[in-house]
Amino acid sequence: MLKIDGLVSGYGSVQILNGANMKVDAQSIVALLGGNGTGKSTILKACSGLIRSWSGSINFDGEDIHNNPPHKIVERGLVQVTQGKDVFPAMSVIENLRLGGFVLNSKQKLKDNLEKVFDYFPRLNERKNQLAATLSGGELQMLCIGRGLMSNPKMIMLDEPSAALAPQIVLDIFKNINRIRKDGLTVLVVEQNVRMALLLADYGYVIKDGVIKVEGESKKLMYDDTVKDSYLGGGGTTANV
Amino acid sequence: MFKTFKFTRKVENILMLIFTAIFLIYISLSPDMSIDSLKGVLVIGVTVGIIYGLVAVGISLIYTGLDVVNFSHGEFFMIGAFTGLTVYNFLIDGELIYAIFPEAYGVVGYVIGLFFAFVLMGLFGVLIERIFLRPLTKKGGGYTVAGMGIIICGFGLSVILQNIAYLIWNPTAHPFHADLGLPINIAGITLPMTYLWMLVTGFVVAGALYFFLNKTKMGLGVRAVAFSKDISNLVGINVPLYISIIFGIACALAGIAGTLVGPTYQVVVYMGYIILLKAFASAVVGGFGSLPGAIVGGFTVGLFETACSFFISGSHKDAYAFLLMVVVLLIKPTGFFGVQVKMKA
Repeated sequence: MLKIDGLVSGYGSVQILNGANMKVDAQSIVALLGGNGTGKSTILKACSGLIRSWSGSINFDGEDIHNNPPHKIVERGLVQVTQGKDVFPAMSVIENLRLGGFVLNSKQKLKDNLEKVFDYFPRLNERKNQLAATLSGGELQMLCIGRGLMSNPKMIMLDEPSAALAPQIVLDIFKNINRIRKDGLTVLVVEQNVRMALLLADYGYVIKDGVIKVEGESKKLMYDDTVKDSYLGGGGTTANV
Repeated sequence: MFKTFKFTRKVENILMLIFTAIFLIYISLSPDMSIDSLKGVLVIGVTVGIIYGLVAVGISLIYTGLDVVNFSHGEFFMIGAFTGLTVYNFLIDGELIYAIFPEAYGVVGYVIGLFFAFVLMGLFGVLIERIFLRPLTKKGGGYTVAGMGIIICGFGLSVILQNIAYLIWNPTAHPFHADLGLPINIAGITLPMTYLWMLVTGFVVAGALYFFLNKTKMGLGVRAVAFSKDISNLVGINVPLYISIIFGIACALAGIAGTLVGPTYQVVVYMGYIILLKAFASAVVGGFGSLPGAIVGGFTVGLFETACSFFISGSHKDAYAFLLMVVVLLIKPTGFFGVQVKMKA
């Protein structure tokens, strides 16, 4: 579904990615793991067109999307859900969701997708007329994911869906991510919460210093102590758990 | 998050109330005070206020959408007035309009002038944004060095536009004789038709803007881009296109405001300067960046200015707007509708 080859990118003149290679198969969940400042989010931003990639190629669904404008990438069906609580606080929940379906041209489709999102996250339906600023952290994360689903994407990239949330809510959100995959979407999830991410994912990549250092089946990665020690904070415990 | 500011906000509001009370008591002691004069001040203040409001809304829109304070906005107001005047004169000088509308030729010509001022200024704004501001804003706006440059360029653009208008329309004052009919009498106030047109059209345009922003898909996109370009990109909004739309709408509003003001004074090349500063005062009083704030600020400045020039002294009319701005900045620095802290990536 998504294939990244030798991706080099960064902010301003600071190079973050030094030739990352990744592959995400259709209808799978792939986890991208790594500590702070290793380039996880940068890969996602390069894929969704928020920053320019300097060299290398990004291939999505058979087409080269390298340096396309962001809205074209969303139209193609690749949606990024940003880290944290990136919503429009002064708009109601339903307006936020409508914005998620901005690329859709038919009202019927928008309605169908809205129902689909409310089916995943019934909490959003209860609060649809509230301002997004009044939602709790978990609800905001639900809103972000729901907004990403509104545009009928083929693949969704989640940037730290578990950041700063209670374990119970994280579990709930991860269950929903699994359900999204079962409904036919491809998911790439960037996480610091290594154990949860590997439980969820089929395949995992570990990034350090802008390069993919280790990759493999998530079950294999989970029991590989050297991976944890060398790349994910070490100490036998996982970050954030 | 806002809890720490609660007490200060209360104090701010009390101080604003005290200021308003002192002002009201002061003007009520004026020898000119009467019910009729109060009614007149109210109507004229609201009329002038809606015009300040429309221009201030444009400044606020551009500020939120482009992160640029547009110091050339008054020139769009001035060119809008000239556009309306030129279209109106063109129609009135011809034969056609008398043949089709023998009774109401003035009104029809004026409406067409307003329409052209709105549309042409919108397109002109998009053009200016594309060829002038787009290359500059690429380097970043706000408080960066490049942002400072954009502010100076705004002044430069203002001078350039004034000189272009000077070349096209020459520097003499052009009277705008809009033939809109005799003054009417509402509730004991005699109101020239030009003021009625300002009042009604101003409210219609403000209402249409509200409807556009809150009920249409494009308006939703405009609000999204105004809040955050990054999130807008991620939901699939064509952000560069929407930035052009925002600038176009702001300029179209200034253009229609210019054509509305034209018939009450004269149309001169230098008319943009003072309206820019007053619209600025309105935007600051209402809360910079807030659209309802801009309209409310416009009313406040319009009413304050009219009341002061009627009850205190008419010869310092242009100073009162800034007096109010200074008072509001001292007491309530965020303005009436202080916008929440904007998170920019």
